[in-house]
Amino acid sequence: MDELLLSKVRLGVVAELLNYDWVAFSELARALDVSHGNLGAHLAKLVEAGYVAEEKSFVNRRPLTRYRLAQAGREAFAAHVAQLQALLKTAETG
Amino acid sequence: MDPIDSAVARDHLELVERILAESQPRLCSGGEYFVVWGIGSAFVTVLFQLVDNGILSAPVLWSAPVVLLACAVFSVIRGRLTRGELRRASLVQREFFNVLWLTIGLAFVVNVAAYRIFSGAAAAAIWSVAEAIVLLYIGMHGNRRAQIAGVVVVVSLIAANFAPPPIVGYVLGAGMLVGYAGFGLSELLARD
Repeated sequence: MDELLLSKVRLGVVAELLNYDWVAFSELARALDVSHGNLGAHLAKLVEAGYVAEEKSFVNRRPLTRYRLAQAGREAFAAHVAQLQALLKTAETG
Repeated sequence: MDPIDSAVARDHLELVERILAESQPRLCSGGEYFVVWGIGSAFVTVLFQLVDNGILSAPVLWSAPVVLLACAVFSVIRGRLTRGELRRASLVQREFFNVLWLTIGLAFVVNVAAYRIFSGAAAAAIWSVAEAIVLLYIGMHGNRRAQIAGVVVVVSLIAANFAPPPIVGYVLGAGMLVGYAGFGLSELLARD
């Protein structure tokens, strides 16, 4: 199991980013229904691990922080979900 | 021993399934671009036909680059404004813009740099082909109106091939107007 993805918020972040080129910070907070402070702390861990890339910019003079899923994050997510499914299958059959 | 039990694993998997089910990205084509470029390309095509038929004099052709430049300026300004409104961008959206700019860009290059091969109606037909590719690509992602609009443009190409030379430009122009601009209008109406 990937310890970083054992957190429900971090797993949610990676799942949210999976089909998207990038997602803004405010949109992630809205979609996952978490506070900005809480989300910021979880995102910092994902960025540090190289799972998620952070981009800060200004659009129409307003700051925009957006996130995109890195290849390492994509691979870790796929492996983690496969392990969750295996665990569930073992529990159901055993 | 696993760090989580099966109940937590099920809860996490349900979360992932729910997020992925809700995040099926819809291809947003931006209807206004299609309206502007559909009208612009149809205008230029019909203009060349009118001059070719002797109905208008050649100097009016100078309005063609002005119209195309206006379309390009509108696209750039609208694109910048839209960027500020976006909160997320899907992978399929990125692919769409890649296809859009590659297709329209190649059509432009062919028109400007290969005008000896694609002269007269062929130059207009290249634009129709480019527009049909863009519409059918959007149609491939489940947009029914884009599928129909793409077919309209393709039909106009075939009809133009068999039309008498004095009306070839009108047929192609009608395809651009009904297919490309019409699709954009339908997207705008659906959005509102």
